[in-house]
Amino acid sequence: MQKTKHSLLSVGFAVLSHAAVAAESGFTLETVDPDADRLALQAFYQQRFPGVPLEEYVNGIYAIDPDSRKQWDALMEFPPYEFDLEEGEELFNTPFANGQGYADCFENGGIGIRQKYPYWNREEGSVKTLEQEINECRVKNGEEPLPWKKGDLAKVSAYMAFTSRGKVFEIEIPADDSRALQAYLDGKEFFYSKRGQLNLSCANCHLKGSRIHVRADLPGPALGHPTHFPVVRSKWGEIGTLHRRYEGCYRDTRSVPLPPQADEFRKLEYFQTYMSNGLVVNGPGARK
Amino acid sequence: MKMIALTLAASLMVPVAFAQEDTFEQVFNQQRALYGKGHAFTYAGQPYTTDHPEEIEAMAEPTRANAEALITSAEAMRQESESLGYEWRDPARFLKQARTALSENEYQRAMDLAARAKYQARMSIAQYESVNASWQQAVPE
Amino acid sequence: MRKLTTVLSVATAALALSSSAVATPPQELIDEGRAIYHDKTRGNCISCHNIDDPVANLPGNQGPMMIAMKQRFPDKRLLRAQVWDATVANPLSIMPPVGKHWILSEDEIDAVVEYIYQY
Repeated sequence: MQKTKHSLLSVGFAVLSHAAVAAESGFTLETVDPDADRLALQAFYQQRFPGVPLEEYVNGIYAIDPDSRKQWDALMEFPPYEFDLEEGEELFNTPFANGQGYADCFENGGIGIRQKYPYWNREEGSVKTLEQEINECRVKNGEEPLPWKKGDLAKVSAYMAFTSRGKVFEIEIPADDSRALQAYLDGKEFFYSKRGQLNLSCANCHLKGSRIHVRADLPGPALGHPTHFPVVRSKWGEIGTLHRRYEGCYRDTRSVPLPPQADEFRKLEYFQTYMSNGLVVNGPGARK
Repeated sequence: MKMIALTLAASLMVPVAFAQEDTFEQVFNQQRALYGKGHAFTYAGQPYTTDHPEEIEAMAEPTRANAEALITSAEAMRQESESLGYEWRDPARFLKQARTALSENEYQRAMDLAARAKYQARMSIAQYESVNASWQQAVPE
Repeated sequence: MRKLTTVLSVATAALALSSSAVATPPQELIDEGRAIYHDKTRGNCISCHNIDDPVANLPGNQGPMMIAMKQRFPDKRLLRAQVWDATVANPLSIMPPVGKHWILSEDEIDAVVEYIYQY
């Protein structure tokens, strides 16, 4: 049997020898170092796609695949999210029945604040996303919450991202509340863990599998993933939120789906956005 | 049985003795991977076949009682997988089909579906355990 | 590595010979494997592995092309084992454990193996 095992290893594939150097610490609350993780992830992509400036990663696959970039540049001459953005602005500025508005719920009237989301909420002991707070604002003012994945919520979020374009992501993990670091660590573990019948992790496609064809699709790099959401995705034919995409990706592993804004997804967003610290907000975006 | 396994193994030049560090699970999987189901092999001197335990359960007499028992134990396994947050898409689907088959008195069909659901649920739990020990290797330094 | 491979090839060739008494696979089994390989709802192998077959549509390249299979796997059973669970050789492999996770049945795996072994 040993023989069988050996020949499987040697005759089969040389995949092992291509494995990137794996980290040896950073998997416990005591050793995890988010900034070291961020720099290691940047280094991974810079080694993988030499010559692509870091700030380009906000453009996803279009940062690293010149052919896709050409088509995208043509598409962006008339960005497909223009109408959503106009509607989002109108929705944002339309007062609720009680006379209050979205601007009253957020710091700086909701303008130019996208780069602070998601954040650790000490009082609630959980990660809060922008979409969550948009809906909480509505409920607080006697309005119905909006569906999480598309439509008006995505449009309001798109407008708020648009007013924040060019601002640098500055996700914080408060040092005096270890629960925040634990949430980050949970998000990190989620990103690298294989799941579902197809045994796929986020990292399988978006780290090593980035810019390698899955049928006609080219998975984008994880670095910069959250910067350009919400997006108009050609496959959807409309605008959608980051958690809509998370849900679809997760479902594609043949797992029982998790709902948008699930605890796991918010922690994943916390991890992913922390990885994108230093990059700018460029949402809303357009993707294949 | 043992005799057949030995003869077969000899004819295929596969060493009968397995390295000590190989667990039963590993040897079972290696044998199933090489030969599919229904293949005889020995482990620690004992004869086995490459049928999953769930498949063996489904070989019991196709009666209502046996079908119900298999569905019940498969559902328990599915719930354990769910509680770990690692539930796969299909076990609940197969179980739904198994219950329909049961209601139509198609006991063998119900048992085969429940067996597949139970096996996949068990594998999803195994996945949870192995991922806990291996996800770290995927993180770049 | 080359030397090791040669030694292993000799060993596995003997193994292959011992089972070569088995007749060549029936065409219908190969055709079934071909259908599974290219069907998005079944094997969907084409999404990651290109193959020199005119029906190949939008092949991916996450995994190696299906070529020189008899040279790479002188023992067809080792190819079967790789399809059954690629994570034995590499725990991080993106390839789903097709047999271990019962994504395809054992018969379907046999059919796919016969199909790709023609290349």
